[in-house]
Amino acid sequence: MNIIIDRITKEYGGRKVLDVDSLDLNEGAFCGVIGPNGSGKSTLLNIIAGLAEATSGQVFYEEYGMTEPPLKRMTMVFQTPYLLRTTVEKNIAYPLKLRGWKPQDIDNRIRELADELGLTDFLKHKNWSLSGGEAQKVALARALSFRPELLLLDEPTANIDPATTAEIERMLKKTNEEGTTVIVVTHNLVQAKRLCKETLLLNKGKVVEFGPCEKMLKNPENELTQRFIAGEILI
Amino acid sequence: MDVIAEGFKAAIALLLKGDAQLYEIVGLSLGVSLCSVAISTFIGVPLGALIGTRDFKFKNALLRVIYTLMSLPPVIAGLLVFLFIMRRGPLGSLELAYTPTAMVIAQVCLVTPIITGLTYNIVREKADKVKNIAVTLGAGKFEVLKLLLSELKIGILAAIVTGMGRSLSEVGAVMIVGGNIKGKTRVMTTYIAQLKSMGDYSTAIAVGIVLMVLAFLINSFLYNYQQRDERL
Repeated sequence: MNIIIDRITKEYGGRKVLDVDSLDLNEGAFCGVIGPNGSGKSTLLNIIAGLAEATSGQVFYEEYGMTEPPLKRMTMVFQTPYLLRTTVEKNIAYPLKLRGWKPQDIDNRIRELADELGLTDFLKHKNWSLSGGEAQKVALARALSFRPELLLLDEPTANIDPATTAEIERMLKKTNEEGTTVIVVTHNLVQAKRLCKETLLLNKGKVVEFGPCEKMLKNPENELTQRFIAGEILI
Repeated sequence: MDVIAEGFKAAIALLLKGDAQLYEIVGLSLGVSLCSVAISTFIGVPLGALIGTRDFKFKNALLRVIYTLMSLPPVIAGLLVFLFIMRRGPLGSLELAYTPTAMVIAQVCLVTPIITGLTYNIVREKADKVKNIAVTLGAGKFEVLKLLLSELKIGILAAIVTGMGRSLSEVGAVMIVGGNIKGKTRVMTTYIAQLKSMGDYSTAIAVGIVLMVLAFLINSFLYNYQQRDERL
């Protein structure tokens, strides 16, 4: 799914927290959104997800003129996963039931995802019995169950062990290779380098630099980007 | 101590013997409480959920009123309802005074704010997370509401059970609007108050035991439901 951002701003109590002039992401993009805390990364993601309204400007989905987020074809994974008070398999089945999938197809899709994410032994477990990493894998499996065309992720591997992070990253790469546009907010530059095709650096709500990930992380054009990558604190 | 021990013995004998009047009073108590809690649930749960999920003008003022009404003294609720339904009141022509209907109305006034306030608190705490998950997974408005109710059902059930407890144990309001008329509006709490003033402690203890057993059963139901929900 193409995403076109056209002069969006977001204000909280008169304070501008986001001011993005324009940004185009083509279908199949894998964009990492990086930047210090409070730079507007999550706000941008929430606006694209339809969870927050921009104070001004528009996000177009697919093409110009399409301003309503196509919620049945996109999804989001949060930093802290919220699982429904039920079993792992019922959590994964939830979006499929919303879309009227047949029980047999739901069952097949659950087994397929559980196999890929190492969740087969947990399918009958209740949500509260899972560790943080297992819960995040379930949240990812649930989000991917209906094969979304746009996948938004807000720091999906923060506080998760390296092995689980690797499983999640492998799944994200595979999903992107199958054509899904992925936008991930991350603080982990190494992760951005491993996963992303494009990188967007935000600072104080504004775009500092946007471009191919490899190039931006190796030879950044902007001085602020150079300082951020060098580990300097941007004030 | 002897009076209490004697009272307990007599009470158990009375319960085992099976007193028709006692059972009638228990039946009316349950009927009035269940009716009022059902109506309060019907009003309070959606209202609490609505306030918890929406931002609107005067929301804080409305919440202050609801919280104040949660601790509304029963005699005041009873008095207000009575002023409306007494013969000279605006609804006097309906002849509701000293009827079980009047008792239900008074209890609805007491229980609705409790269920509304508690539901609001539960919804406010978790609603945003549930709503965000539902929306991002493709749920429509009705499906979001359905998921909210399903995710918050234990908390909402606890709010309803709290309302039931208040309703069963309440005496002031039902005394004022019902009048404790034998065979018509006499319920367990008003009966205990009357028996105490008559010095009939054994019957008062017997009714008290029934009241406590009912409270225990209601809370056991909630506890069992919670346990079963976690085992599923």
